[in-house]
Amino acid sequence: MNLRGRVVKRVLFAGTKSEHEGLVLITAAGEFKLQLKGGNPFWDEKLAALQGKEIEAEGTMRETRFIMSQWIVLP
Amino acid sequence: MKPDKVIITNVGALKSKYDDRFGRVQAAIHRLLGADKKRGLQTKLVAVDSASDMRAAHGKAVREVDDQRAVKKAVDAIYNAYEPDYIMILGAQDIVPHQDLKNPVYDPQGDEDKVVPSDMPYACEASYSKEPGDFVGPTRVVGRVPDLVRSSDPAYLVSLLGTAARHRTRPRSEYQQYFSVSAEVWKASTALSLTKIFGSSLSMATSPPKGPSWTNTELGRRIHFINCHGSPDDPNFYGQCGRSYPIAHTAKKLVKKIMDGTVIAVECCYGAQLYDPADADMRPGICSTYLKDGAYGFFGSSTIAYGPSEGNGQADLICQYFIDEVLDGASLGEGTLKARHRFAQAYTHLDPTDLKTMVQFHLLGDPSVHPVGAVPHSLARTKSFKQAFKERQNAKGTRKLRRERAARTGTNLRNSLGTPNRFDEALPGEIGTVLESVARESGIKSYGAQSFTVKYRDEGLVENMKRFAPAREGRALYMLSGSRPLPKEAPGRVVVIIGTVQNGHLIHMRRLHSR
Repeated sequence: MNLRGRVVKRVLFAGTKSEHEGLVLITAAGEFKLQLKGGNPFWDEKLAALQGKEIEAEGTMRETRFIMSQWIVLP
Repeated sequence: MKPDKVIITNVGALKSKYDDRFGRVQAAIHRLLGADKKRGLQTKLVAVDSASDMRAAHGKAVREVDDQRAVKKAVDAIYNAYEPDYIMILGAQDIVPHQDLKNPVYDPQGDEDKVVPSDMPYACEASYSKEPGDFVGPTRVVGRVPDLVRSSDPAYLVSLLGTAARHRTRPRSEYQQYFSVSAEVWKASTALSLTKIFGSSLSMATSPPKGPSWTNTELGRRIHFINCHGSPDDPNFYGQCGRSYPIAHTAKKLVKKIMDGTVIAVECCYGAQLYDPADADMRPGICSTYLKDGAYGFFGSSTIAYGPSEGNGQADLICQYFIDEVLDGASLGEGTLKARHRFAQAYTHLDPTDLKTMVQFHLLGDPSVHPVGAVPHSLARTKSFKQAFKERQNAKGTRKLRRERAARTGTNLRNSLGTPNRFDEALPGEIGTVLESVARESGIKSYGAQSFTVKYRDEGLVENMKRFAPAREGRALYMLSGSRPLPKEAPGRVVVIIGTVQNGHLIHMRRLHSR
């Protein structure tokens, strides 16, 4: 599936053992945690480079996580 | 004669999954039945989908594999009919489902597990329910020997059944050395856990800088205690230092390095999640890999877990208790049951994170396996003792005494332990002022609030407990959670403050730091 939105940093899983800063994609359909396919689920430098940018991404949805396989940065 | 151990599975689901190779699974089950018999255990296989098996147990056959209500009823019927000392669930959740309980800490901005897949209800007398608070009084010894979700190759399950059949009890000296890896930010908490169990934390490794390549010597130790990050559908555990989350432990580097008989306790979020390997490029989870490599038991969480960065709480405690009991000679299943009891017994009531901890940790492995031999009293070495118990009839007799004791403890917990029930009420003015003040002093900038009543069962209000009834009435929990603007590398940036209120008065406060 494809999603389009803005990449924003958030505190995820607040208050739990998994609490960490991660990136989410804010779309018209809602907010989804971003993870690169095969990438580190907690912090990924490749993803970090997308922070603040509008992207269109292809991937699969697992619960509230969007596992991104490829993407383009929108102008 | 009633069996000592019951293997509960769904034979139709196994046949459907393994098709013409189901015979290999069936043969492996029979080898386990035979091995148990040689050890003095009468083991019975019961298929929840079999009309005749369930009729014999005065229950109803399960028609849909994933009908959790029907499976819970079937397990209860089987337990009531046979009163086994061990219940071994055979298969992953696509054979015998977990019971999905409501997550008492659910928060779309924080702990977003909507449900907690749990085997705890199978250990409890309480009837089917989605409420975790109904399952705080476990009395049964339960474990699950899983297969791989949606895999049609029976080799994995045959291997695990073989491990259970061939297992042997070893002296404690063979379990005295441990392998432990902790996320660097949690090293103080992990060190405390290890010191409590082993008297020292010198063998603890931290990630970073260490991992995920561990030496054969390190992985060859028979107790593994892991306190790292975990993620759903992921064959890795992760360390942490600041914003660095390196892989600390990975399934692919475990293969053929695990010593036969290893016992593992894992605090990580999703540490014992049984996921479909297809969701992770056909890589099974760490828990599945350990078991395939000959580990006897894996104790971990199905979902997001809790614990402090320093000191011990929640996941630290329940994992410590499990290892402690196993080292003391308990079977894996009894170790699990006693860990749950010890965890719950410390409280008058469970807060929402404690309750989630209680129901989210489960045992993967044959519950009847005793990895470590109990140290016998000197009386047991006398001729008279050996003559009196030459048929080893004392083993079954003393096991029954332990089950009676466990039933008493579980029943007492069920009747007397308070559990949280979320309700929609804003923080009362005065309480809110205090908690908000503590939040400010704790450096929390913004926070969310949740309110809970504390529910007690009437059955526990007997004899001198009646005098606590007025105090219990109107007891409530109020929880604030928010972030502290600390440096990125600092642990504990998210803080949870829980206030216990009784009849309008604040009587206790607890501050939990996130990991």
